[in-house]
Amino acid sequence: MGILILFACSQSGLTQIDTLALRAMDEATSFGFGSYQLKDTYLSPFIYQGWGGRILNERVTWLQSKLSRQRIIGVDLATTKNPAENVNDFGIFVDYSHAYHYNVFNGNDFNILFGASASIMGGFIYNTRNGNNPLSAKADVSLSLSLMLMYTLWINEAPVTLRYQGMLPVAGLFFAPPYGASYYEMFNEGNLSDVLAFNSFHNKLGLTNYVTIDIPIYTQTLRLGYLYSYYTTDVHSIQTRIFSNTLLIGWVKEFYLK
Amino acid sequence: MGQRILSQMKNMKLIFQLCLWAAIISGCTVDDEYNESPRRNFDAFWQLIDENYCFFEYKNVDWNAVYEEYSPLISDSSNQYDLFRTLANMADELQDGHINITSFYAFSAYEGWHSEYPSNLNWNVIQTYLEGSQRTGDYDEIRYKTLSDGKIGYIYYGSFHESILETELNKIFDSFANCNGLIIDVRNNGGGSLTNSDRLAARFTDKRVHCGYILHKTGKGHNDFSEPYPLYLEPYSIGHLWLKPVIVLTNRRCYSAGNNFVSKVGILPNVTTLGDTTGGGSGFPLTSELPNGWRVRFSSSPILDVNKQQTEFGVAPNIPVALDPADEERHLDTLIETAIQILSGAQ
Repeated sequence: MGILILFACSQSGLTQIDTLALRAMDEATSFGFGSYQLKDTYLSPFIYQGWGGRILNERVTWLQSKLSRQRIIGVDLATTKNPAENVNDFGIFVDYSHAYHYNVFNGNDFNILFGASASIMGGFIYNTRNGNNPLSAKADVSLSLSLMLMYTLWINEAPVTLRYQGMLPVAGLFFAPPYGASYYEMFNEGNLSDVLAFNSFHNKLGLTNYVTIDIPIYTQTLRLGYLYSYYTTDVHSIQTRIFSNTLLIGWVKEFYLK
Repeated sequence: MGQRILSQMKNMKLIFQLCLWAAIISGCTVDDEYNESPRRNFDAFWQLIDENYCFFEYKNVDWNAVYEEYSPLISDSSNQYDLFRTLANMADELQDGHINITSFYAFSAYEGWHSEYPSNLNWNVIQTYLEGSQRTGDYDEIRYKTLSDGKIGYIYYGSFHESILETELNKIFDSFANCNGLIIDVRNNGGGSLTNSDRLAARFTDKRVHCGYILHKTGKGHNDFSEPYPLYLEPYSIGHLWLKPVIVLTNRRCYSAGNNFVSKVGILPNVTTLGDTTGGGSGFPLTSELPNGWRVRFSSSPILDVNKQQTEFGVAPNIPVALDPADEERHLDTLIETAIQILSGAQ
């Protein structure tokens, strides 16, 4: 990896720049693959484990010198098996988050940004064997805190940007069907009482750890990333867990503003 | 230059520590692994039913006592066949055809809801009535024709697993345009989709009819239930309705969605039920599993009739009629013949 970076940077011809000041907007699209765990006690009391893929599009716009806006759209597809490996759970999730960060510490090469985001997530877990409860739908709107650490490492006078971002949901609303309610009762017969619940730390814990390395190669920027996503809820005596470790690769388009 | 490198290393160490901290916080998981232990699976089955089954009180079953009775039969030296047999016998204590265990080699189902009663259906006899009938549905479970010189329509609907499209129903009712009465035969209809049974039932009313209630478990306690939520039969609004007399033929093998169909249409003024009490099965079933991968289905949500009464043990017919062996000898179905007489008299 080091050889690749040195080679890439030496060929890129990039000059030393203040990435935060001049990189007015970054758009990154990444593709990932990794391990997944799905658990939803509406479908099964057990954790299903397997693999999945993720597509992530991220746009960061610098609105002012210290204020940035980040928009992330992600699509997750996962296929998992029960402990006995005779049943599949398939998971499909789409999420969008809209965050604002303020640069609370601006060092030469190290920056700390802190902010908040509003996010929406929808999707479902589908169990291939269950009869009247084959599916558990997910819908979640939440407000989160977000911490971002950015560090620019100079290699051959080209910036290699390392970033860690942690996002912690604080409060929101989600779809939470009552313990034994069937989808027939809720959606065929229209009994939607108690299907929406306020969520916070008492019934939901989510954390996203996102690490990226942006490596300039010629006129392009390669992104390598790692995403650790943990989402667990416990409401109406139904426990849900969506857990993934994903390695990502993508590219970054950089738009400079004068 | 040296100070800069030192500063970079310190910053990287800080980032690494923060990442590690975040990963540790969010990564603590306790996995439930595959487990073949008969004891573990016995306990898991008992607990699954204990927390989710909906008829303990109605059936006056002491599930703790059932545990005490069956638990000594299973140890970790028991084999998988012993376990399956014991779980199936334990499930039978609940007298519920909706409790099923599916292992890699067997399927358990309580049969008492029909096995101890006369079937009131002779397939050899029915074939003579179905001769020349039209078929519809993916599996030919729906057959229809006219009887009594075209004066009475007859539909045999053998399973509500078989979907029927509105266009297919329109076609059927088109073929009954000159009929004055209709027989719907749901004998041996062991259930399927409530959507299918509702679709057929919706053809027999031109008004929105309150037809029952549904409850669901709100927690793991045996009596943790929601308030009864009213169910309505919505009339089919854009095609053929059948508001002339209907007789629905029933027997003990009419179960689950079949039972629900009889309960719903039985309250309509133009519908008469005839035959034997249905088999029941009014608990809407959900599915889960055991640590060894066996599938378990169980009744989760009771569906009540319009008077808030359980129909778990069946719906009694308006007119009780049994199959007469003398009629069978003559290849006559007593229920169909009685229905024809009633409908002919009503014309």
